[in-house]
Amino acid sequence: MKYPQPPRWADRLLEVFCAPHLLEEVQGDLYERYGRDLAEVGVRKANRRYAANVLKFIKPFALKRQNSAYPSPSFLHPVMIRNYLKTSFRNLTKNRVSALINLFGLSLGVTACLVIYLITNYELSYDTFHADRGRIYRLIGTEKFGPNAETHPAGFVPNPVPLAIRKEVTGLETVAAFHNITSAVLIPGGTEKPKRFEQGKHGVDNQEIVVVEPQYFTIFNYQWLAGNPKTALTEPFQLVLSEQKARKYFGDLPLEQMLGKEVIYWDSVRVSVAGIVKEWDKPTDFTFTDFISFATIRSSRMSKSINLDDWNDIWSSSQAFVKLPEGTKPEQLTASFQQFSKRHFQKEFKFIPGLQPLADLHFNADYVDNYSRKAHLPTLYGMMGVAVFILLIAAINFVNLSTAQSVQRAKEIGVRKVLGSSRKSLIFQFLSETTLLTLAAVSMALVLVGPILSAFQSLTPKGLTFELFSLETLLFLLFVTVTTSLLAGFYPSLVLSSFRPALTLKGQTALKSGQKGYFRKGLIVFQFTVSLVFIIATLIVDRQLSYIRNKELGFSTDAIISIDAGRAGKADVLAQRIRPLSGVERVSMQWFPPMGMSYMMTKMKYTGKQEIEMDVSAKVGDENFIPLYGIRLLAGRNYLKSDSLRELVINATFAKRLGFEKPAEALNQFLDFNGKKIPIVGVVADFHEQSFHDKIDATFIGYLPQQSRNLGVRLTSNGRTMNDVKATLASIEEQWNAIHPDKKFEYEFLDDRIARLYEKEQKTSRLVNTATAIAILISCMGLFGLATFTAEQRTKEISIRKVLGASVAGIVALLSRDFLKLVFIALLLAAPVAWWAMNEWLKDFAYKVDIEWWVFALAGLLAVFIALLTISFQSIRAALMNPVKSLRSE
Amino acid sequence: MRRSYLGEFEEVVLLTVAVLGTGAYGVAITDELDRQTGRAVSISAVHAALHRLEEKGMLKSHLGEATAERGGRRKRLFSVTVLGSRTLHDIRAVRDQLWDSISPQGLPAVSL
Repeated sequence: MKYPQPPRWADRLLEVFCAPHLLEEVQGDLYERYGRDLAEVGVRKANRRYAANVLKFIKPFALKRQNSAYPSPSFLHPVMIRNYLKTSFRNLTKNRVSALINLFGLSLGVTACLVIYLITNYELSYDTFHADRGRIYRLIGTEKFGPNAETHPAGFVPNPVPLAIRKEVTGLETVAAFHNITSAVLIPGGTEKPKRFEQGKHGVDNQEIVVVEPQYFTIFNYQWLAGNPKTALTEPFQLVLSEQKARKYFGDLPLEQMLGKEVIYWDSVRVSVAGIVKEWDKPTDFTFTDFISFATIRSSRMSKSINLDDWNDIWSSSQAFVKLPEGTKPEQLTASFQQFSKRHFQKEFKFIPGLQPLADLHFNADYVDNYSRKAHLPTLYGMMGVAVFILLIAAINFVNLSTAQSVQRAKEIGVRKVLGSSRKSLIFQFLSETTLLTLAAVSMALVLVGPILSAFQSLTPKGLTFELFSLETLLFLLFVTVTTSLLAGFYPSLVLSSFRPALTLKGQTALKSGQKGYFRKGLIVFQFTVSLVFIIATLIVDRQLSYIRNKELGFSTDAIISIDAGRAGKADVLAQRIRPLSGVERVSMQWFPPMGMSYMMTKMKYTGKQEIEMDVSAKVGDENFIPLYGIRLLAGRNYLKSDSLRELVINATFAKRLGFEKPAEALNQFLDFNGKKIPIVGVVADFHEQSFHDKIDATFIGYLPQQSRNLGVRLTSNGRTMNDVKATLASIEEQWNAIHPDKKFEYEFLDDRIARLYEKEQKTSRLVNTATAIAILISCMGLFGLATFTAEQRTKEISIRKVLGASVAGIVALLSRDFLKLVFIALLLAAPVAWWAMNEWLKDFAYKVDIEWWVFALAGLLAVFIALLTISFQSIRAALMNPVKSLRSE
Repeated sequence: MRRSYLGEFEEVVLLTVAVLGTGAYGVAITDELDRQTGRAVSISAVHAALHRLEEKGMLKSHLGEATAERGGRRKRLFSVTVLGSRTLHDIRAVRDQLWDSISPQGLPAVSL
């Protein structure tokens, strides 16, 4: 029969606090009393009394420890710490191979962590330095063209909206509108030819020129270096420059003398410098350096391009920011915005204003504009996850390798314990070994991070630099060092310090199998699961990218360049001159090529049995457009040469939407476009016009002379070398220079233009590839460590097997089987995780590859192959060993 | 007169040890105190007093036998030292001397 026992926690407590030399008698007395209480008052009361009695023993006499006759120094005594470091150093230099493997793995892990930390920290710190940033919002909205159209979020507003909101909506502290424009810049140089600065490339260079209301400078704080902030932007033709931009324009003049100097935008808008501000040195999307006064718009030819009174159009460079008074929530304004919308948008086009927090600006891709660079938050979080996993598997390596070494170290530990080392000081000794190694790894990472950042420049955001001596970086490094040391060192130090001296000195060195073996195997499975997820992700991402590259787009992209004549004009003249050049096959006046970032949506009405009105995408070009791009006609013919929109060609999707079973049925039907009835003369096969993220939409092709201001040129590609192509391009440039002597000739190959659509995917692919390589490398090191461990542990078994006639192949198979089992388990775990993750990633694509089972099989095979390669070295060595050697000594 | 100071509780504990003879250990002393004086004292208080008395040299101790009811733990058995004994005698002598000096009318009568 089992007697009731006093409460366990109270007993434990007593054992912890009571001085060891008193414990026996005290605990004995308490037990005796407990026994009596049990009989007299029952279990519950007895338990309570026992606990109370224990608590009453918390008294000085019971707490005070008896002095030992042989005192040992505290485990944190300087002498001991010196000893830890010395033995750690000796041990690391003794086991060079495993120390190097560990160092290499940890360095890789820490470097990856550091690089990813720098990137994510940089992205997350965008625009976090503004005073009152919580009260700054961007004016955005939802737009809707017509009663049946979909609503779209818009990161921009119709031009008159900010000014009207300032007047009509109460409860806003400040409203500031601006337009960002692109323009070449001319600096008049007195009698000399003016200095010219070309405009930045769209999507590559920062947006720098804005036409801005003076209130902008009340919402955002700039430090004024020259000029009067109060009057600098109130009048037309005033300009504020950033310090660096001013230096670029005017050289080393003192800033005060730059005031009043003239700068010309858009070839004829002359403005004079009224102020100079210091640019922000922290990460920001507001990269503007040229601030032209808003009043300039109405007083110059800018008013032609920026129509401040057009309520029914909307363009992406029209921006407005709002600062709310303290304590106002954006939701409080919803009602006023809705009333505002009802008042002003009574026709087809509807726009409801809204507010977007400043913190959202850098991350929310729904609200597009043309100056902020959007960071993809899920990618950032994904990267953080990758960093954590890589560091984790590096730490696991260390755990595996140190427990593998424990066979050799068991004797050392036994001797240390016999000589009076406490477990605590042993733990500290092993931890100091890890810390030493981690510190070495961190210093390696610090050396590596600079070169790596420059090597991966295309992956890292522009403007990212590495500053070692910032508080944040140092804290991060400290955090990484401490967590890595603990993660990697804690388990081995616990295991190693738990050895019983009597057993180890007698020669029983191997660890007991059982739970500890499972733990190590679990770690290996974890490592391989992570690696396998990465391998599967690599395979699928690569497959999707090659799908994107190789899928028939519905038109030809070979040797086609587009020349954006745009504002320069005279595209027709240029086309005339280019056509006869040798090496030019065909030239088309067009708006944009069939596929790319730029596309135009418009409305079309069809009156058949019933009226159908829908949003369709427009492709604009002259009669050469369809043959130039090799778009296939399913029915009918191309439209004829004309000087206005007379005939249309539509795609198969459009025909189907209109309710025609066969493309040919759509021929000679009339579509209503801008109030004119225009016949359909041809139907083309569907072709991709946007990235594979979007489905092919209803599209028409037609000639709109107003928009066809750019050129598409097809070069002869058959049997021509790169040099011939270059020669042709040079002759085209000659013609351009003859027409536009002061403008730069710029062109782009269609392939490059399309590739730009997938920049994000390219980045993801490179990130996943790198992560996979690192993960596999580090996990293999771990496997190598474990193979060494097993081979050593089973030396005797192998020898006996050999003596009894086992073949080398049989032994290699025996040693490999266990590992293959682990890889297989890892595959089972990794497959669903990878499947889920890749499914999420692929969801973004309208056209995508299927996730097929063989991808998983291939990944598994790869992992098995890599694992076999890694362990074969150790297992073959073990199998080839002379059995006499290990059996002789016992 | 040279003598070491004893607190009242210490004196009672020391006396109880003497009363119990060879069987004086924590729980027994606590119980005896309870029985003789009606004072419910905690084991820890008794242990603390025993500890102090041993430090002062009035008690000595050795470990006794283990018993099952104590979970196999031994008891620490206390006995009074010569110093302890002399101290007790001194205290008693002082008390007796004081009692003898009280005149018959010095104390109000108490009916026992």
